[in-house]
Amino acid sequence: MKDLKHLIFFENLLQDAQNELVTQAIEEGNVALGYNCFYIPEVLLNLKGCFSTRLRAPRCTSTDVATYYMTGRTCPYVRSILERAIEGGYNYLGALFGAESCAAMERMEEHFYLLNPVKNDKFFVTIIDPPMKGDQTNLDYYKQQLTCKVVEPMAKAYGVDTSDAAMRAAIEKHNELCEVITEIGNFRKLANPPITGYEFHVIQLVSQVCPHDLILPYLKETLEELKTREPEPEFPFRARVVVAGSEIDDPEFTKLIEMCGAMVVADRYCFGSFPSREQIEIQDGETAFDAICRHYLHWNQCARFMDGMKIEQRHTEIKKLVDEFHADGVIYENMKFCEFWSYEKVLASHVLSEEMGVPCCTIEKEYALGSVGQLRTRFQAFVESLEIKKINA
Amino acid sequence: MKNPIVELIDSKLQKFDPIWQAENGVGGQRSRYYDKTGVAKYREWRGVHDTMVDYGAWLKNVLSMVQMVGSAPVACLKGFWEYRWMGSYLGTFMFIDRLFEGFRGDELKVAHLNMHAIVQSLTKKIALVLANDKRLGGGPLSDKIVPMDEVLPPLFMAGFPDLIPIPLQTLPEFIICDVDQHIEPYYIDVAESFGLPADVCSRCAAETGVAMDDAFPIFGKAMISTNMPCNASEATSMFQRRRIALPDFPATMAMIHNEPGAHPYSAQVLKDCIAFIEKEYGVEYNWDALFARAKHMNEQNQIELEKWDYMKTPYCSLCGIAETLYRLYAWASVNGQEDYFTKTDRKVIKIMRKSYEKKYEPFGGKTRHRAFLWGPSAVYYTDFPTWIQNCWGINIVLNMDSTMGHNMISTDDPEQAIQDLALFSEKGVMRHHAVGGWDNVNAIWEWAKNFNCDMVLFNDNIACKGMLGVHAVMEEQARELGFYFIFIEHDLEDCRTVSRQDMRNCVNQYMSVVLNEKPLDPTIVEFDDSQAY
Repeated sequence: MKDLKHLIFFENLLQDAQNELVTQAIEEGNVALGYNCFYIPEVLLNLKGCFSTRLRAPRCTSTDVATYYMTGRTCPYVRSILERAIEGGYNYLGALFGAESCAAMERMEEHFYLLNPVKNDKFFVTIIDPPMKGDQTNLDYYKQQLTCKVVEPMAKAYGVDTSDAAMRAAIEKHNELCEVITEIGNFRKLANPPITGYEFHVIQLVSQVCPHDLILPYLKETLEELKTREPEPEFPFRARVVVAGSEIDDPEFTKLIEMCGAMVVADRYCFGSFPSREQIEIQDGETAFDAICRHYLHWNQCARFMDGMKIEQRHTEIKKLVDEFHADGVIYENMKFCEFWSYEKVLASHVLSEEMGVPCCTIEKEYALGSVGQLRTRFQAFVESLEIKKINA
Repeated sequence: MKNPIVELIDSKLQKFDPIWQAENGVGGQRSRYYDKTGVAKYREWRGVHDTMVDYGAWLKNVLSMVQMVGSAPVACLKGFWEYRWMGSYLGTFMFIDRLFEGFRGDELKVAHLNMHAIVQSLTKKIALVLANDKRLGGGPLSDKIVPMDEVLPPLFMAGFPDLIPIPLQTLPEFIICDVDQHIEPYYIDVAESFGLPADVCSRCAAETGVAMDDAFPIFGKAMISTNMPCNASEATSMFQRRRIALPDFPATMAMIHNEPGAHPYSAQVLKDCIAFIEKEYGVEYNWDALFARAKHMNEQNQIELEKWDYMKTPYCSLCGIAETLYRLYAWASVNGQEDYFTKTDRKVIKIMRKSYEKKYEPFGGKTRHRAFLWGPSAVYYTDFPTWIQNCWGINIVLNMDSTMGHNMISTDDPEQAIQDLALFSEKGVMRHHAVGGWDNVNAIWEWAKNFNCDMVLFNDNIACKGMLGVHAVMEEQARELGFYFIFIEHDLEDCRTVSRQDMRNCVNQYMSVVLNEKPLDPTIVEFDDSQAY
């Protein structure tokens, strides 16, 4: 296939947390608001005068200082983020909106005020206590937490307009971006898609780390380009897989899978597009803020949700993706030391393979892509098993 | 005044006393054991009076065991046949003996009062559970029992006087790991054989293994799980609900629980939970029944607060594991629901008052350091506080988990009571200080200062992501504030990863290399108890 016009530009945007679009937005007077987790609604951080940037630690090769603070037995993603903060890589941030999504995440976010690594006088950190069930009691608590720890601090510290009208405007813009990404992602449903999983991963990531206003024109142009892009004469992969599990913000991981012969047709992991690019619908009689909270609680598929309804949702959503995107199997991954996804991986792989008939490969990964030899062997073996299954069928 | 005959016998037989042996360089606590095991050649000689106290307590505990088997002989027999963990309860007597090695006088009396309260409660619970376990054929109370996650304080369930809340994991997992260090590795291996990584908390891995191995007793019409205390615990609950296959209600208390917004949420969760039980069991909540039990809990907490006053002095006869284990069981498992514990508390506080009046120092006044134990403790090394006192003279004055919910519960206003219960429950086991934000962990220095401690022992569960995340800042704080500070590495319920000796070495190295101190009993500095219960 012909290279996408903006792919190299997008790849370059992913080389630094403070990329050129982030710098441009700040120079234009906007406040950069960092977050780590889907529990913090991206749309709220994109109210007028500020923009969201989901924290990554690209090209992180060593976490020595963060390991001193948090030991080498905690999640490498949070250690990498802390390391990058201590290195001064997030000095552009106006605030970090954290979530006690897991203990390691909370501790990392606490170090942002204990060590004060972000050299920005107005910088502050808040950490929400996110809900663990999808019921009304937890929805109310979610609203209360987001009000106290996201909406009000934004208004107080930076004078952000958090009125219902402002939120409706933010939702409208958010939906526009989601529509573009969803449309791009839907090409992956085709038998011979004009986009690879790697390319989509890059596109999805830039949409999360860059100011939406500045990245959207490029995304729209890419969508138009894809509509006429000629795919390879024949589907170049031997299998189609859904990748599910915990945090992945390195497109090289997707590339590795694809180099082993499996196209990643759907991305259901933290930083993936399922969930994150569903459009927010404001129902009759609902405020924009209520709609945001309901939407994020409904679509959130974090492994920490404990109620039966949400647990089942986690599994059925993956099955739905397998069906819609015509996947042959699922690669279920968890970040090393991630307790939630370690457990969920065991449960989900059992449910998918034994009860839903979906072949499943489970792996554990580091944040910085290492041990690729072992992973490559696992992926190759999985692809072969999927091929054999097809032949036998 | 001692009886002269007793005094004569004591002087003649003191050469058998391990404390005397250690003082005189002719032996010590470990001398009476077979190598590698927890099997002693003879009981500890503590002088006539204390040996009789100890032996009398042993007999009382035997009686409770006999009563347990006598009350449900067939069920007990079936239980031994069905459940691997039941066999480990045979180690209970060895377990109690090793807990109170070196205890004499008032501390011994108090320790046995507390321990017997646990034994008599636990044995009744085992008999009740087995006699109504549907795996073993069930019983008349099978559908009256409500299986609950052991970390959720069951006091609010007292409002259902016709139902019996049973902490589900206590018998097959938590308590039994205290007794037998070798039981949980089997269940951990079961979980890991299904693909669970070895780096998750071993307690939760063990619970998962118990579920997968179908080793949980089955009873009740619906179960209550919880997000307490932490991430892995939430995750294992999802396995348990699936395997036990009962309708479940996850009682998800606020994680960041030291903020005003948290308590109304937790209170609402408790209300939702009560509504769930009403629906599933077809019963109505009775506030008066709750108030009656809340009075007991309040009295116990009031006594606890008085105990703390004595703990701040050198003249406290309740210390070490006698304090820790009792508070853990009485608070987390009984939670105001058994009169026996209120009576025990009344007796204990009387002894403590007298000890204080007569300026009685436990352990013969040989305590060199007063330590606060912080962080979740190793379950497979319950007698660690006993060892550290006997070996290095470090008295563990109070343990983090003993500071659990000690707010009073309203006994006349339902709305206030549920708010109080929410606060009380949020501050449960391994939660009050280990979860919910930095300020909770950092509270240790204030606690240590208030209890006149010069040392902080920080339990370093190698798989506890929450506590690992504060490693360096805690160490820096200790240095800044001038506390002796030791990380005690352990793996909570898996003695294979960090053995008891590895744990002892953390202390040995600090005491000998950093503080340059000599052990009180050299026979227990380094010894092999890898095959012991």
